[in-house]
Parts: sequence; C-alpha cells; structure tokens
Amino acid sequence: MISIEQQSSSSAQANGLAIINSKAPFSSTHGKDALDIALIFGSFEQKVSLFFQGDGVYQLIADQDGSLLAIKDYLKTFSAFEFYDIEDIYVCQQSLSNRQLDENFHIDEVKVLSSIEFSAALNRHQHVLRF
Amino acid sequence: MKTLAVVITTPPYSHLTITALTYVEAALVAGINVIGVFFYQDGVMHANEDISIASDEYQAIAHWQRLQQQYQLPLHICITAAEKRGIACDAIDNDKINNAFTVSGLGELVELTTKASRLVQF
Repeated sequence: MISIEQQSSSSAQANGLAIINSKAPFSSTHGKDALDIALIFGSFEQKVSLFFQGDGVYQLIADQDGSLLAIKDYLKTFSAFEFYDIEDIYVCQQSLSNRQLDENFHIDEVKVLSSIEFSAALNRHQHVLRF
Repeated sequence: MKTLAVVITTPPYSHLTITALTYVEAALVAGINVIGVFFYQDGVMHANEDISIASDEYQAIAHWQRLQQQYQLPLHICITAAEKRGIACDAIDNDKINNAFTVSGLGELVELTTKASRLVQF
C-alpha cells in the first residue's frame, strides 16, 4: 500500500538514463549498440545506469571470449566503466536463477537485485532505453 | 513546456515503424514539442535514398519526410550505424542520404535526452 507513495516520490527525484540490456551478447549487436550509448553518456558526464535482465544477464558472465566466434569482444570494454563514471550496474537475480547462472561476473561493482528492487531502481531514472 | 524525443531502431519495412510514425504524428498534432527523432540501429535505413518499397505498401520514408517538412521536425541519423549499413556519410552533399535527414552521432542522442522531458523508443 505504501508503494504508490514511494513511486511518486522516487519518480520526482528521477534522473539520468537507464539502459536495459535484454539480449545475449554474441547473437546480435544489441549489446554493443547499448554499450556505445553508455560510453557516450559517460564521456559527456551524463548519468547512466545499466540494467541486465532476461538473456541480457549473459553479458555479465565471466570467462567468455567472443573472439572464438570471430566476434569483436565488446564485453572486455565493460572493465572501462569506472573511467566513464558508470557505477550503477544492476542485474536481475530472477533472470540469473532462471538460467541457473552463478553470480560470477567479469566486472566488479555489479549489484544483484530482486525483481522488486530492480523495478524500483529502474523507476528512479527519467529515461529508459532497451536493447 | 514538456518536450518529447523519440528513438527509432526499426527499419522502414518494419510494421513497428508504422506505430512509431503514428505516435509521432499524434504528438505533433496535439501540439507537443517533439524536439527530435534519433535513428539508431536499423532505424538509420530510413535515410537510405536507394530504398524502394512497393507502392501499395506503407511508405515510412515518405511519411518521415512529410513530418519533417510540415513540422520542421529534426530527423537525426547515427553516422556509425549508417556507415555500417552502406549509407556513406563522409560528404555533406551525399546522394545516398535522403536530405530530410541530418547526419549526427550519438552525441546528438545525449543532447536530445538531456533536453527532453520524455524519451520514447521504438
């Protein structure tokens, strides 16, 4: 019952861009296209947060190598996030467990959130793009 | 005043583009200040002058052109996405690019996002 109140107060403080990553890393260019936007926002010193959900969680899993598939491994660039001041990186716990994935990520500072926390975090942003 | 920016990621032959165009035109007709449309991913194909869609099908490109002329609606294409799809952008007077569109980069998306009260993606 308190949720409506919370939502309205959080949306009043909403700021920045949230990018939802919902696709696996190597079957399409969605992940790379989303990364390019995140880095540009970072270089313009605009606030950007990254959300990983659904098959998008595969983009965070450690020990992958796109070059084995002749794909330029854009996941390596994730390690540069701190230089772009991209600090808010969220992953959906439910999406991980549905895929039986451990919280073994190739970057630090990933926050694992329950579905409710995930949507609340998303709601704190003014704009959302989904890839 | 409330402002709207729109991101288009679907190609001109996608039925989802029809929804996007209907939405943008409805916003313009309602007097909403649409500060720009940014074409990304396959969306940049709208600017390809060589695309020809059968005359009895929905003419997405012609509709973007019409909205641009009628409302001075800025249409920006992402240069990196465009070059990847064979729409060369190195010259300003490029006959491969429909002149209703402006060649921009992701910096323009940052600009639109910071200015817009709302950003809607298709």
